[in-house]
Amino acid sequence: MSEWEPKIVSFLCNWCSYGAADLAGVSRMEYPPNIRVVRIPCTGRMSPKFALAALREGADAVWVSG
Amino acid sequence: MITFKINGQTVQGEEGQYVLQVAQKYGIEIPTLCHHKALEPAGMCRLCTVEMFDGRRSRFVTACNYPIWEGMEINTDTESVHQGRKLIVELLMARCPEVPILQKLGKKYGIEKPRFRAEDDTCILCGLCVRMCERMGNSAIELTGRGVEMKVDTPFHTQTDVCLACGACASVCPTGHITLDKIRDEITKKKNVHLIPSEYDMGLKGRKPVYVPYAQAVPNTPAIDRDVCVHFKTGGCQVCTEFCGVNAINHNMEDEIVELEVGSIILAPGFQPFDPSKFDSYGYANHPNVITSMEMERLLSASGPTGGHLVRLSDHKDPKKIAWFQCVGSRDLNRCDNSYCSSVCCMYAIKEAVIAKEHAGDSLDCAIFYMDMRTHGKDFERFYNGAKEKGVRFVRSRVHTIDPVHGSDDLSVRYVNDDGSLQEEKFDMIVLSVGLETSPEVVQMAKKLGIELTEGNFCKTSTFEPVATSKPGIFVCGAFQGPKDIPQSVVDSSAAAAAAGEILAPGRNTTTKQPVKIDEVNVMGERPRIGVFVCRCGINIAGVVDVPSVAEYAATLPFVEYATDNLYSCAQDTQDTMTQIIKQKKLNRVVVAACTPKTHEPLFQETLINAGLNKYLFEMANIRNHDSWVHKNNPELATQKAKDLVRMAVNKVGLMQPLQEAELEVNQAALVIGGGISGMTAARSLARQGYETHIIERGERLGGQAHNLYKTISGDLVADKLAELVADVEQSKNINVHLNSELTALDGFVGSFKSTVSSNGSQKEIVHGVAVIATGGAPLQTEEYCYGQDARIMTSLELDQRMKADDPALAAAKTAVFIQCVGSREPQRPYCSRVCCTHSIDNALELKKRNPDMNIYILYRDIRTYGEREYLYKEARGRGIIFIRYDLENKPQVEVADGRIQVTVTDHVLGLPVAIEPDLLSLATAVVPNRDDKLAQFFKVPLNDDGFFVEKHAKLGPSEFATDGVFLCGLAHYPKPIDEAVVQGRAAASRAVTLLAREKIKTSGQVAQVDPMMCSSCGVCVSICPYSAPSFIPADARMHAGKAQINAVLCKGCGLCVASCRSGAIHLKGFDNDQIFAQISAVSWE
Repeated sequence: MSEWEPKIVSFLCNWCSYGAADLAGVSRMEYPPNIRVVRIPCTGRMSPKFALAALREGADAVWVSG
Repeated sequence: MITFKINGQTVQGEEGQYVLQVAQKYGIEIPTLCHHKALEPAGMCRLCTVEMFDGRRSRFVTACNYPIWEGMEINTDTESVHQGRKLIVELLMARCPEVPILQKLGKKYGIEKPRFRAEDDTCILCGLCVRMCERMGNSAIELTGRGVEMKVDTPFHTQTDVCLACGACASVCPTGHITLDKIRDEITKKKNVHLIPSEYDMGLKGRKPVYVPYAQAVPNTPAIDRDVCVHFKTGGCQVCTEFCGVNAINHNMEDEIVELEVGSIILAPGFQPFDPSKFDSYGYANHPNVITSMEMERLLSASGPTGGHLVRLSDHKDPKKIAWFQCVGSRDLNRCDNSYCSSVCCMYAIKEAVIAKEHAGDSLDCAIFYMDMRTHGKDFERFYNGAKEKGVRFVRSRVHTIDPVHGSDDLSVRYVNDDGSLQEEKFDMIVLSVGLETSPEVVQMAKKLGIELTEGNFCKTSTFEPVATSKPGIFVCGAFQGPKDIPQSVVDSSAAAAAAGEILAPGRNTTTKQPVKIDEVNVMGERPRIGVFVCRCGINIAGVVDVPSVAEYAATLPFVEYATDNLYSCAQDTQDTMTQIIKQKKLNRVVVAACTPKTHEPLFQETLINAGLNKYLFEMANIRNHDSWVHKNNPELATQKAKDLVRMAVNKVGLMQPLQEAELEVNQAALVIGGGISGMTAARSLARQGYETHIIERGERLGGQAHNLYKTISGDLVADKLAELVADVEQSKNINVHLNSELTALDGFVGSFKSTVSSNGSQKEIVHGVAVIATGGAPLQTEEYCYGQDARIMTSLELDQRMKADDPALAAAKTAVFIQCVGSREPQRPYCSRVCCTHSIDNALELKKRNPDMNIYILYRDIRTYGEREYLYKEARGRGIIFIRYDLENKPQVEVADGRIQVTVTDHVLGLPVAIEPDLLSLATAVVPNRDDKLAQFFKVPLNDDGFFVEKHAKLGPSEFATDGVFLCGLAHYPKPIDEAVVQGRAAASRAVTLLAREKIKTSGQVAQVDPMMCSSCGVCVSICPYSAPSFIPADARMHAGKAQINAVLCKGCGLCVASCRSGAIHLKGFDNDQIFAQISAVSWE
């Protein structure tokens, strides 16, 4: 169980969290690679369907940030 | 080119290269400790030993310094190589058992404990430091001694002045044997060996000689600090040139003088924080736990030296008690020369205290020691009240000395409480809230330009021309104009731009160039032909991600016609090549896998446009910021992720459609609502910049509240200046004044508003592209303090009127009392009216002028004479005006009986009630906005709880609304004195001109669109949109009556309506459901 790493799909707002993820890169902060970012224009765009789709496709977790 | 084999793989290298270099190029791992790209190899550590077969026999060679030759065969990973390396590591481990990198290698080669006798060295004699020092042009250190005596040392084991303490040796030492301490104690004779202080982190962190000033610097490119770069001292080094992939570094660049022809100059040199090291009694220079507020900002910042973890500097422990000392370097003629108030420190100290509590938890004790709490900005008083509720302590006391507590790193302060009792308290750290001052360089510059300064060394300006310096054509903004916070600086800067624009208006667009337009290819109905360009970004991406394999993989994806990799995709020549490829291969969709779309999407979209493609047929995969930079220790998974990101982008781009950007003509007229000072200033600025402007004013004359004011703080009569402004407005051929008028209906949106104005009973229609709301404010009508019961009790503005009329009763009065905060800073009106302290003090001084024997009392809660207004406060005290403080729970009592007015107030020093019988009582009533809900609804702009309009952004957009094309100025925004109303009037005009001058607005293609057949007319989109873009199609329309429609001009493409639409009728172009689903389904999880 300790070896288990969740697979995460994240939906990041273009204006804040996506920029923050960019900044994490600029600052060379390391984090595990098992995350995939989908850029959305605003978290207002986030639809429950996206979260369900991600889970259906095999993600263990969905992260929405904005 | 030399061809040979490594591990059976055919590889190629240049003549003169070594085995290790070629291996690294092909990503074949060979361990090494003593190799450095910029230095000649020396084969010292032997760890890079490989097996070389020359056709007849095998032997072991060191890869780092064995030159390549045609036909040789190298094996890097055979059992014998492995055994050899294991022995080397074992010997090194025995010599240096404590070195982490060797322990790591030991683990890799399965060595638990070396078989040899353990020594306690940390140097492996690799000689990297010696070679690096030589490269620095110095050779201060050498490998001395022979055999077992060998070590890195200086000649004769003495400290040398040849060593510059540059730290290059320490930076390359693989084992950590050389440290800054060692350099200081054993090598150099220099006394100050420390890191180069990072200016951005206020010296709390070091930086390199080659550096980007801070993460968001513009331009975000590194610079070489010539003052500390070793090359400029010795002529050596230049190591950076070996690492730069595009030969961008040129050490021979020289400063050049560039001559520019300009019509106007705007000065925005800012301020320098006050340096408190000269205050001996605070011990800032000696005690690490006494820091400045600027250092505190960095400690609290997530991008700061501690990553946002709040620690005290002496021992990096979490502090339990922090104190802030206000007015350090402000309001102080005793220990420094800054007698002005710096305006911003009270607010930033409260902010820091609140954030500190957020970081460290509620148990953190935060105390702010202050004289007057000056939270006079919009919503600042609320923040202050909130801080009190959160437990921030506010102590009204100016502390003289900070004493270090013997035997600990704590600090002790003694202060006198409000009730006169002496207190002693210990703190873990103390933050000095340093003031703002003009730097000596700026004072010099001002002298050179010949512009006048104030006594506080700020730029001298006047109330009605607050951004004009004493020299025509030179304007000023920001803290050089006077100490101020961000919103006010932003207002200033817009105003200065407008002031320059007014004199330069005839030259607008005379030196601009039009880009050549390229016709767009129609790709509708075509099968997707996707091109994928994978960027190496030098080594930024390619150093971690296997870029060629990503490109190879991309080529296998459906609909991908072409895939390649580029060294730098953003380079101009690459862009040209990409344009060619798009045309040749007839690509109709493009994916660039590179850095972030936030910075580079517009650039690549430009490439698409140049190739004749619609710019929306594009998608980026962020394989640098979100991949190679954050997974550098995991190249395999990073490569896997890059492939995934590319597949997601390819999947999405296949569904992208060409989008059209609607073009909209901006009507070249402006409407200003409100004919007060700020409204008129806005109108005059717009008119001077060539735009037809309409002012609608409810009253029968222009001028608003300014008619009630007597004089400015610099002594000018307001009436004179107002008359000049009104004359300017009335005589301007570009301005139409509509008096006795009101807006009764509004139609349209940015670029084409249609206003219905009713004037004196008749209706007219005005068409305009922009609107400025300047509806102003008024004094609060009050009944408090017996107002209305006696003619001698008046408001501040009524006192002004009497002064204007030269009422002889004023000079005859023996005693005058001013009561501050009448209706302001109270639970039902929790804001500071900003202007009243200065106004009352100015009026008190005027009374003193008329009758020097008059006894004047000002009853106040905090005196808020911010900026250089503080001089008036100082003068008032000097002239014997008595200031008595009261608090909200214990307000002054006013009684009118038998023809006498009696004011009773508890004196804050004596603690006893004082009764005063004034002949004149002036009430500083609050400034309340002319609340106009109808107007707010017309323009769909919000009002706050107090009735002031809510601007687009409290800090960065103070003079505009979130609704495009609508701007804001004057008291409708927040109470402010004349100079700030003038500045904001111009700022609103400035922001409006940015729209008007474009003449046409291009909307984004990425907007929401309604499918009327699906729409159920539920109205969720109409009510939810923050930009008022959706509306119902009129009931009498021929098609789709009652369904929703979205105005592409107003739509910001946020997608809120799309996600909220119950019928699925709304689509967001560029981020539609199918496109996002395509991305999600492209994620693979192997």
